[in-house]
Amino acid sequence: MSSLTSGPLKELGKESYHWERFTAKQRFLRFIAYLTVAVLLYWTVSSIDIYWPWVWSAPIEIQDMISRMIPPNPGALPEIIPALIETINIATIGTVFAVLISLPVAYFGASNVSPNKVMLWIARVIIVSSRSIDTLIWALLFVAILGPGPMAGVFAVTFRAIGFLAKLIGESIEEMDWGPVEALQSSGASKAHIISYAIVPQVLPTFWAVTILRWDINIRESTVLGMVGAGGIGMLFQVAIDLFRWRDVSMVLFSIILVVLFGEIVTSIVRKKLI
Amino acid sequence: MLEIKNLVKSYGNGERVLKGLNFSTGDKKLTAIIGSSGAGKSTMLRCINRLVTADSGEILLDGVDLLKLRGKSLQNARRQIGMIFQGYNLVDRLTVMENVLSGRLGYVSLMQGVFRKFPAEDVDHAYQMLKRVGLSQYINKRCDELSGGERQRVGAARALMQNPRILLADEPTASLDPKTSELIMELIANLAEEMDLPVLINLHNVAQAKHYAARIVGLRDGVMVFDGKPDELTNEHLEHIYTAKAELKEQLGHKPRSKR
Amino acid sequence: MKHENQAIPLEDHYIWKKPSFIRNPWLRYGLLLVSAVYLIYAFSTLSLDIQRVMRGIPRAMQIFSSAIPPNFAARGELIVTGFIESIQITLVATAAGVLLSIPFGFMAAKNISILPVYALGRAVIIISRSLHPIVLGVLFVKAVGFGAFAGVLTLIIYTVGFVGKLIAEAIEEIKYGQIEAIRSTGAGYFTILVYAVFPQIMPRLIGLSMYQLDINLRASAVIGLVGAGGIGNTLNSAFGRYDYGTASAILLVMIAIILVFEYVSGKLRRFTK
Repeated sequence: MSSLTSGPLKELGKESYHWERFTAKQRFLRFIAYLTVAVLLYWTVSSIDIYWPWVWSAPIEIQDMISRMIPPNPGALPEIIPALIETINIATIGTVFAVLISLPVAYFGASNVSPNKVMLWIARVIIVSSRSIDTLIWALLFVAILGPGPMAGVFAVTFRAIGFLAKLIGESIEEMDWGPVEALQSSGASKAHIISYAIVPQVLPTFWAVTILRWDINIRESTVLGMVGAGGIGMLFQVAIDLFRWRDVSMVLFSIILVVLFGEIVTSIVRKKLI
Repeated sequence: MLEIKNLVKSYGNGERVLKGLNFSTGDKKLTAIIGSSGAGKSTMLRCINRLVTADSGEILLDGVDLLKLRGKSLQNARRQIGMIFQGYNLVDRLTVMENVLSGRLGYVSLMQGVFRKFPAEDVDHAYQMLKRVGLSQYINKRCDELSGGERQRVGAARALMQNPRILLADEPTASLDPKTSELIMELIANLAEEMDLPVLINLHNVAQAKHYAARIVGLRDGVMVFDGKPDELTNEHLEHIYTAKAELKEQLGHKPRSKR
Repeated sequence: MKHENQAIPLEDHYIWKKPSFIRNPWLRYGLLLVSAVYLIYAFSTLSLDIQRVMRGIPRAMQIFSSAIPPNFAARGELIVTGFIESIQITLVATAAGVLLSIPFGFMAAKNISILPVYALGRAVIIISRSLHPIVLGVLFVKAVGFGAFAGVLTLIIYTVGFVGKLIAEAIEEIKYGQIEAIRSTGAGYFTILVYAVFPQIMPRLIGLSMYQLDINLRASAVIGLVGAGGIGNTLNSAFGRYDYGTASAILLVMIAIILVFEYVSGKLRRFTK
């Protein structure tokens, strides 16, 4: 195309002049950016509600706390292990539910396949509200509704994950190659067939990748659900803290790190096998 | 028998691409449609199988007006019309066999399609079709492992699986190297002859059009400006077909470079 | 009609089945069985109980009816100060956290680090990544007392975990040719870092900081639930008082701020690229 439209050299010279001006503008914007950051930070540090003497004594306090945590108490393990298993179960079941619910939401929320504007906007509202509210806040809500226990945890994990999954899967539907859809349309295939042959195969890699990723995230989030009463290892952590059992605290922390690493290792293995 | 009467189509920006096109073909032979890009070749084919919806006019396939169909009857009409695409439009992550069988989707039930349980005769037919296009050894290969020419052969097999009454091809060789392009044209022409099918094929390569077609149609600015046998197509005709509108030329010449 | 096409001879009968993803049938059905059994078991341990859900529905209706319309007025001032504090915590913690994650990122990059330093860097990153900000928040509240400072410390550690890891990965992917070029001029270790490594990761770092700002804002809203300052404190006390009108007002503002932030940081990230 450019070979059709390249103008005389005179014009080219003009263009390079424009380019220089743009760089100057960029430099100016960069300066503005630095200035904004500096001003923001100055305002923040000078007005934040922090009691500074506590800041100076913080290293000693933290050191003190850590020294009380050592060594971790293996005696807490009989309580910790079932709680860890419950944590993983909450994450997994929550992921399964979220996947089932997020698929239609993703489909209706993808602008290129959504049947109509109303469905599109309903799906988008679901996605935004699900994503913007943290798992722990969902957990607070579900503990209030369902009472304490792992069921509230599963609901919290599910409700937070729906938006995450639906957003990413919906984006991959929007980005897929439209050609196969047209090819199947023109062969007289029905909508369900088009989904099965043209959409699902193209979206499948993203689907697996985000599902695995979300399971990994859900394990992390499930470790704290218990702190608001929604099941899992978080409850033991809260109890140990409240009773000042520092060596139990460190044992729980240690096992949380282990279970999160476990989730990370499993996901990286599955990812390698699947993709 | 395909009859197009007074077909009009404009896109969102208001520019009319087809301005009252008339065309008909009943012969089981290959018709090539030539014309510069933007002349409406693609739009014409895509109006026939309703990938785009025409504004007005009629498209009659064996007496049925395709533009009036909806839902199930549209699906039934579409399976009578095979189409081969410039970009192959295969599902890369499915196997060759699945792509070929997907040409039968207009005929099978939802469950048969979704669970890949096609009737035995469809599977046989697909296998023979793949053998015919020389790809039977690749049945369970994924389409993203194939070369461009091989993909287009799968695309042709898929279109013919529909048992169409007419075959459309939208620049089927434009994405291929010259040698493969010849092979694919040869294949499409032979298959159409073997299956006794009328073919409408958009081509940008005039030499190919002259060589393979029994009839050549020239489009310019949304209307037909030539219709005849290949040996009737003279250089004057070609110049007429491929010369863009004067004002369009002017626009191109003065387009600012930054707009690409 | 189908086999009228005599040009294609009907030679042999062919049976086709879609090839399975896992070839070995034992492994395939074994894995299916194991996952099914695990899911059923996990499901049964969670005491998921339809009746409790049913009983929850009227409670949910009650909560929602008292949450609608959201009540911005009753605790308006607290909401504003809460959000301002959340934003302050976010800004300070992101700035300090990104600065701190640079040395840890360099330590944890295999290609420019020595083994003991690498192990230390990795350990710090793994620990900070594995602990949820709420857990860190509780610990810091216990160590340094309630308020914004605990929140800042929490998010600094949280930032080091994420940004540090990504910096390490960015460094591990850099082009070694540039390092060799600088080294061949006779430069020392830190000169190499400054001239050959840092420029290569700088664009990524800016993008990452923007992204982390977004993440930290979300996190700052929840660490307040355990007393580490910000809007979470306000939200927690609203929940504690069953004041769902205020709670829903806070949640709505939170959604709005997060959306605006996401939009702005997305624009900025595209701009810095």
